[in-house]
Amino acid sequence: MNSAILAIIKREYLQRVRSRWFVAATLAGPVLFVGIAVLPILTTGSSEPGEIMVLDGTGELLSVVGPALEGAGYSVTTGDGEPSLEDWIQRIHDGEVFGVLQLDSATLANGDARLTVASSLSPIRTLALRQIVAQGTLASRLAAEAPETLALLGGGTLEVDVLDEEMEVDGADFLMAYLGAFLLYITLLFYAVAVMRSVLEEKTSRIVEIILSSVRPIELMLGKIVGVGAVGLTQLGVWAASVVILADIGLPRLVAARPELAPLAQFESFAPGADKLLLFLAFFFGGYFLYSSLYAAVGAMANSDQEAQQAQAPLVVLMVVPAVILPAVLESPESALAVWTSVVPFFAPVLMFARAVTGAASGLEVGVALMGIAATTVIVAWIGGRIYRVGILMTGKRPGVRELWRWVRAG
Amino acid sequence: MTDLAIRLRGVTKRFGGHVAVRDLDLDVPRGTICGILGPNGSGKTTSIRMVLGIYVPDSGSVELLGGEPDHAHRKRVGYLPEERGMYRKMKVMDHLAFIGEIRGVRAAEGRRRAGEWLERLGLSEWGDRKVEDLSKGMQQKVQFAATVLHEPDLLILDEPFSGLDPINQDVLETIVREMNAAGVTILFSTHLMGQAERLCRRVCLISRSRKVLDGNLREIRKAEDRGDVVVEFEGDAGWLDGPGIETASPVDDGWHLTLHANTPPRTVVERALAAGVELRRFERVAPRLHEIFVRHAGADAAGDAGRPAEARLPAEASTKDSQGEAALR
Repeated sequence: MNSAILAIIKREYLQRVRSRWFVAATLAGPVLFVGIAVLPILTTGSSEPGEIMVLDGTGELLSVVGPALEGAGYSVTTGDGEPSLEDWIQRIHDGEVFGVLQLDSATLANGDARLTVASSLSPIRTLALRQIVAQGTLASRLAAEAPETLALLGGGTLEVDVLDEEMEVDGADFLMAYLGAFLLYITLLFYAVAVMRSVLEEKTSRIVEIILSSVRPIELMLGKIVGVGAVGLTQLGVWAASVVILADIGLPRLVAARPELAPLAQFESFAPGADKLLLFLAFFFGGYFLYSSLYAAVGAMANSDQEAQQAQAPLVVLMVVPAVILPAVLESPESALAVWTSVVPFFAPVLMFARAVTGAASGLEVGVALMGIAATTVIVAWIGGRIYRVGILMTGKRPGVRELWRWVRAG
Repeated sequence: MTDLAIRLRGVTKRFGGHVAVRDLDLDVPRGTICGILGPNGSGKTTSIRMVLGIYVPDSGSVELLGGEPDHAHRKRVGYLPEERGMYRKMKVMDHLAFIGEIRGVRAAEGRRRAGEWLERLGLSEWGDRKVEDLSKGMQQKVQFAATVLHEPDLLILDEPFSGLDPINQDVLETIVREMNAAGVTILFSTHLMGQAERLCRRVCLISRSRKVLDGNLREIRKAEDRGDVVVEFEGDAGWLDGPGIETASPVDDGWHLTLHANTPPRTVVERALAAGVELRRFERVAPRLHEIFVRHAGADAAGDAGRPAEARLPAEASTKDSQGEAALR
């Protein structure tokens, strides 16, 4: 690799990484992740349940409602003895304790109860408390009147017998396959289009003629693809690192410090293992080189943003197909549709990745898909490189298919 | 090492049915300033692109600095295309350093030289600004700096002066002369005959894809001298339309006359006196490139180049487009 290519890679990389847009998008990723996945749980969990006094007029509900409240994070005080109710209400006023829950015969009859607190509660919190009271009351009455049905409250289990050899996709894998494939699709599209825009910008600003007086067209194209790809890897790297840090280090600590946030622990399964990261990387690499060489050619044959928009339409179709059939493929990753579409080189980056993550695709299938992508990339890059070479200095009407073929032969 | 910086032999380039350059021979000796002159669309830019290996000629041979117009030789060339592009979002200094880097100048060294050039061009404070913040004239100066940053042996400038105000044209002319004095060979294209007359030691006149004439400017003018005179007078100009005077074109305050062969210049004085006009000035001059061009290529072929010295026209965008369109038809 010569110094000119390195300079082109460096420029392409630094210009992008330094841009405000890149910093914003890269930081927004983890923030969005936290925002969408973690924050709701964090906020509902973190508004301190606090101390609650239960005045049980029924004499039987406290034994079930009390533990349920404690399970939800409240610390429960009974109403008889110290402190007195007046003191307690004063402390509610002062914001030191949460409230008073009054249970009486009406509670036993139809689940009605009374709660005194300092300020109004969020609907979710109200619902959670009503749920605790209602469940407790139900359990208490069932225990008294029909103890044999009590087990029903637990919800029972559902044993699933699968007749076909169809594999079962475990929930976390499904989610990871879905989110991962989607992220792959978005980033591939985004960075391939970035290559196209960059080519187009050089062409329309005419800087390309200056560059090409010292660099071969194929070197410029390669430098650009590698530089933009490195930006993509940087961004994905930051995202992956922040997810791993959040899930592997941040989460256990948070849960250890605040036991009431235990529900968050489920997100630990979100942290992808090294094998899945590697899969993602492999398919990002393959897909990126494949699509970016196509998009580079599109950029070289267009003269304006509008022309490029039109010219890239066939490519967009190629890219959207896997995104559209992704749900169907994940639904039954071993169906004929899933197997065959996932080895098509243009669809493989998204679909084979998804199947591999669910465990439906064998190592052989993944290998075949990657080899297919590699072989297609070589062909596409050869054709794209030739179109690029001719197109980059060409102005005038956008070429038709026959014209393009002449470029390929002439290039 | 050959003493020619550029050597073209029988070079032809077609774009589809259109012949952009036909059978062109051109020698540019090292150390000279050579102008390619011709109207817009006559094949100047195509010729230059072939010299640089950006276009491959359909036939003929191209030698650049004694070798193929390949990567190694192109690195020794500074090329300023007619349609000048820059990375608008880059800082001026970064842009210059990058252009230097792809031509083999290390980034730190490129920055140092870029700083010197910016200072020389009066743009010191603009190094940290984005290219798009600069005025058009400033951008053009930055582009020139980018062209020479890697200290080339050969400078190829395509219409380098178009779009510059007279002051900056002078600045650029001075720099070009200095670089030439330091041993840099310079080839530039222009349709401004006056500029070429001031700057060039050699010229190559092109019209309609063909070379019309080339060689040492002084020798050409000597050889083409058929007794041109400039006269200034007060009174009716009707006497100019008489035997012996081939053409009469108005210049500044007087008239530039080309005479028929065998007409002694003093006839002009005699005729002026006979016509009774007040003769103020009579001067024997060497023919201007404009007249030489018209003489060899015909007035209509001269097109823009046939216009008196400093005439300007907008760039030939439409011609370019049709070339591109026709390119592989």
